[in-house]
Amino acid sequence: MSRFSKSLLALALAGLAGSVSAFDNYKGLGRPATEAEIKAWDIDVRPDFKGLPKGAGSVDLGAEVFEARCASCHGSFGESNEVFTPLVGGTTQDDIKTGRVQSLRDGSAPQRTTLMKVATISTLFDYINRAMPWTEPKSLKPNEVYGILAYLLHLAEIVPADFELSDRNIAEVQKRMPNRNGMTTDHGMWPGKGLGNGGKPDVKNVACMRHCKKEVQLVSSLPDYAADAHGNLAEQNREVGQARGKVTGAKSEAKAAEPLSESARLSQLANTSGCMACHGVNGKIVGPGFNEVMAKYKGQAEAETQLAHKVKAGGAGVWGSVPMPPHPQLSDADAAALVKWILSGAPAK
Amino acid sequence: MANPMKIRAASKDGVTEVKVLMSHEMETGQRKDSSGNLVPAHFITELTATWNGKTVLEAQFGPAVSKNPYLAFKFKGGAKGDKVVVSWKDNKGDSRTDEAAIA
Ligand code: HEC
Ligand code: HEC
Repeated sequence: MSRFSKSLLALALAGLAGSVSAFDNYKGLGRPATEAEIKAWDIDVRPDFKGLPKGAGSVDLGAEVFEARCASCHGSFGESNEVFTPLVGGTTQDDIKTGRVQSLRDGSAPQRTTLMKVATISTLFDYINRAMPWTEPKSLKPNEVYGILAYLLHLAEIVPADFELSDRNIAEVQKRMPNRNGMTTDHGMWPGKGLGNGGKPDVKNVACMRHCKKEVQLVSSLPDYAADAHGNLAEQNREVGQARGKVTGAKSEAKAAEPLSESARLSQLANTSGCMACHGVNGKIVGPGFNEVMAKYKGQAEAETQLAHKVKAGGAGVWGSVPMPPHPQLSDADAAALVKWILSGAPAK
Repeated sequence: MANPMKIRAASKDGVTEVKVLMSHEMETGQRKDSSGNLVPAHFITELTATWNGKTVLEAQFGPAVSKNPYLAFKFKGGAKGDKVVVSWKDNKGDSRTDEAAIA
């Protein structure tokens, strides 16, 4: 075991015991996580319901919260709009009896929905609690998560309309999950003995012990002219972890040292503000492509102010029924500059 | 008999928005099953929606509409508690009627 992983283990133990002593080896480095920090981080809910917060929520409460916070992306009935896969559908009363979803096997449902796939209700609770709504994760109260879950289960006819889901009856509902018996462990994704094939991995990489090659020999590589076909790879990798993209493309290399131009700054701002998750420069993703936005508003003087306002306030109906969420964190100046930049073709440099 | 529709109706500023999720195979009649036989056409042909007994929407559906169709529409008027009723008929003579109170 490396020194590094030992200290990680110590950190985990220190967290559990809430003690200080584990840091003695690394004087002056870091500090133990506080109990409040651990509590904020340790929110997972497990299949045996360890970690499940106490609470309760009715189908009616869930219907209300779902309509307000989730329906814009997932549809009022979890049927979803054209962008996201549906949450509900494709399950039958028979599946609730058998615990295996028939439509997964015969392909009779047009799309695979969440409730067709998920085997454990704890996973759904955990996911919604930690990750949704997409634009405001961790903003739901436990009772709201219970209510939303009750509503989704009711849409799939797993629980009746007057049902209230709580930490006390959730284990009973697990016994009615349509795909509860659909999870397989007989494959190498599951390490350890006692699970299916004994945890034999599906990839084998045996360390060479004899007659090994002494040095790495590259047998093929992208020619230089093709290396930057996808832009500068170095700029596209996260700055954490070991993998670094190779710097590709002579131009961006040469310019790296220069101060950023205004367009480059705005291009970065669009990235860090999350715009590019939903907009392509040259095509639709969730929202319209910036080229389409430019084509639509070119030469319209009032458009800029209106669009800047819409970017901050969010809205729907111009390009379809999918709404853009609000971006209150953008300053007015940045919102206006971003719109100007979009209407001038969203240049990268 | 077909499964119930899911209906939500909500009024705001004098306009009621109705959302309906139907449960129907919507077979086009053009698809073949695994043994090569045509799957017979089976689709909704007509849909009506009423508000307190007055028709607010009439639609003709055809085989181009997807399985389990979703429909949303708005009409002027409607108050909390009013009844919205949606009915469909299909080409095999089956039909279904469901209702919801405006929220
Ligand atoms: C702004 C759009 C948006 C809103 C609002 C939103 N979601 Fe999502 N939701 C997404 C996206 C995008 C994904 C897929 C995320 C991914 O795969 O990383 C997703 C995934 C999910 C999934 C997992 C689906 C699966 O099968 O993997 C669930 C469950 C879910 N959302 C529930 C909710 C609930 C409940 C709410 C309201 C509290 C909500 N969402 C609000 C966009 C949204
Ligand atoms: C969650 C996805 C999402 C994110 C994030 C997002 N947008 Fe949008 N955007 C949309 C959608 C959807 C529309 C279409 C709205 C409509 O039909 O009215 C849109 C529309 C627009 C429009 C055109 C508005 C109109 O009325 O024609 C502009 C300009 C725009 N977005 C800029 C931005 C900027 C700048 C950002 C980053 C600060 C951003 N968007 C972030 C989804 C998103």
